[in-house]
Amino acid sequence: MSHVLIHDPTLRDGHHAVGHQLDAAQLRAYAAAADAAGIPVVEVGHGNGLGASSLQVGRARLSDDEMLSVVREALTHSRMGVFMLPGWGRAQDLDKAIAHGADVVRIGTHCTEADLAERHLGHLSERGVEAHGVLLMSHMAGPEQLAEQCARLVEFGACGVGILDSSGHFLPADVTARVAAIRAAVDVPVMFHGHNNLGMAVANSVAAVEAGAEIIDACARGFGAGAGNTQLEVVVPVLERLGHTTGIDLYRLLDATDFAGRELMKVPPTIDSLGVVSGLSGVFSGFKTRVLEISGREGVDPRDVFFELGRRQAVAGQEDLIVDVVAALRSAARDQERHA
Amino acid sequence: MNQKGRLSVAVIGAGLIGVDLATKISRSDRLGLELVVGRDESTPGLRRLAKEGLPVAANGIRSLIERDTPFDVVFDATNALAHPEHAKLLSPFSALLVDLTPSQVGRMVIPTVNGLDALSHRNVNMVSCGGQAAIPVLHAVARNHPIEYAEVVTTAAGPSIGRSTRLNLDEYIETTQDAVREFSGIEDVKVMVNLSPARPPVTFRVAISLLGEELSQESVRAAVDSAAQEMRAFVGGYTVTACTVNGGKAFIAVEVDASGDRIPRYAGNLDIINSAALHVAEQYAAVQLSSAYAETS
Repeated sequence: MSHVLIHDPTLRDGHHAVGHQLDAAQLRAYAAAADAAGIPVVEVGHGNGLGASSLQVGRARLSDDEMLSVVREALTHSRMGVFMLPGWGRAQDLDKAIAHGADVVRIGTHCTEADLAERHLGHLSERGVEAHGVLLMSHMAGPEQLAEQCARLVEFGACGVGILDSSGHFLPADVTARVAAIRAAVDVPVMFHGHNNLGMAVANSVAAVEAGAEIIDACARGFGAGAGNTQLEVVVPVLERLGHTTGIDLYRLLDATDFAGRELMKVPPTIDSLGVVSGLSGVFSGFKTRVLEISGREGVDPRDVFFELGRRQAVAGQEDLIVDVVAALRSAARDQERHA
Repeated sequence: MNQKGRLSVAVIGAGLIGVDLATKISRSDRLGLELVVGRDESTPGLRRLAKEGLPVAANGIRSLIERDTPFDVVFDATNALAHPEHAKLLSPFSALLVDLTPSQVGRMVIPTVNGLDALSHRNVNMVSCGGQAAIPVLHAVARNHPIEYAEVVTTAAGPSIGRSTRLNLDEYIETTQDAVREFSGIEDVKVMVNLSPARPPVTFRVAISLLGEELSQESVRAAVDSAAQEMRAFVGGYTVTACTVNGGKAFIAVEVDASGDRIPRYAGNLDIINSAALHVAEQYAAVQLSSAYAETS
């Protein structure tokens, strides 16, 4: 059985669940607890990555500089990870992260747009920083296409590649097919990042490992947008029971995740109606807060909004579409009333 | 001026932008397309243009400089890192250089805001597709309202974004931000870019969020509608799809359908920057041709 590297984005992707409002004490204490548990990589930042704090996806309480310096100080053994989407962050944001001592940098693009990572992956390789390339919204592309895109990421200098199930849409067989195809196309470690909209995040992560993935993302209590991410304190012992090693201390892991449950969130993520609808429609759960706000204001069913966003294939970052979709649904409803 | 009474024109670059631009120029009454240069003959764009009977050459900018009669207008549709060298090589000639890369070397021009600047500068820069779409609206709203913060998010379809733009994403963002600051006077500005993997591809879109206490639905709508109307004079597919104001925050979305031509309808990003570049060159040509006419009569 194999070793699985656990990559913990509680302090990055988890940020979506609290509008990017974690403060320095929360970041410091969770990072120290994760470090004590032996979690290999602790990722930190705004939920959408370096440079992303904005009206479009939410303004963070702390600047990237503040977040990175606090977490860096708290980590003694764990490596510090950061995430960046070209188009949202720039090379200057990468340089700042490197100066703060980021050990692992992930460059993300939507599933068919790997070419967008070429410049920044090159920028990182030239500076000797461990750079990975990851594909978001991966349910929108098939196994062969994802495998081709991952091979491109490796050409650009990525020393790890993989897929994010950003909308929590996959079932285990979908993950098996995709990870196996990527595994066959590249000779670097493959990662999988799950979301729990359909209750499949742990099962999908197991499927990924069985298909050859060596890096699994998971968050304490599943901290993340909407229905949340793969639950860290569940997936680690499950993988261990299946005979994989993670190098993580179970009790210290449970301590870290109990801390997160108490101090990082008001309530742990749950699969509510919009969580299910978001997973079914293939729309990132990060849209939830704004969908609720705008559909509440305009008197439209938020479930209809999610399905219409799914029909338009909205991707994470296109939160601006919500206003148009709500307006279109409202005017369609008025037309219907008029004709009734 | 060439024999048919048009200004002689060359295009450097045969990517998605260069090919569409060449097609648009070939229909102009004032501009005569005499050369499109690419890096090598096997470029799909060059081959396509050659097949349509347009004059093409490989070897990049060399083929352009080595020609005996200089061009009146040269469009640079390569990339931001190559443009400074091109500008240097072309500086001994009198041509108007219209730069479609986000290099920021030349004077930035948004036709409805400072189009006349193209008459007094030898090198003009077309900012970016997002800048061409957002700045007319930002300029119009900021003229009547104090704005504390402006945010612009552009979304383009994956197939409409070529390699140069992908490599120049940082320059795209920085140039667009600088142009928004310069033309709207708003100091705090953030620009972001999405590339959509959706199939069928999505229409080019620019979403603008503004913060300002004096923003009101009526005054913002009026400013946005008048800016959009001016834009439609040369970009037919320019449409405002949302314009709302709530509690000191305005949200405006613009979509651009590419109209006519052989680029797909969703590629409004190519259409708007090329239409703006063409518009600038045609205005320049009108002045040049009328003064040439005055001299000969």
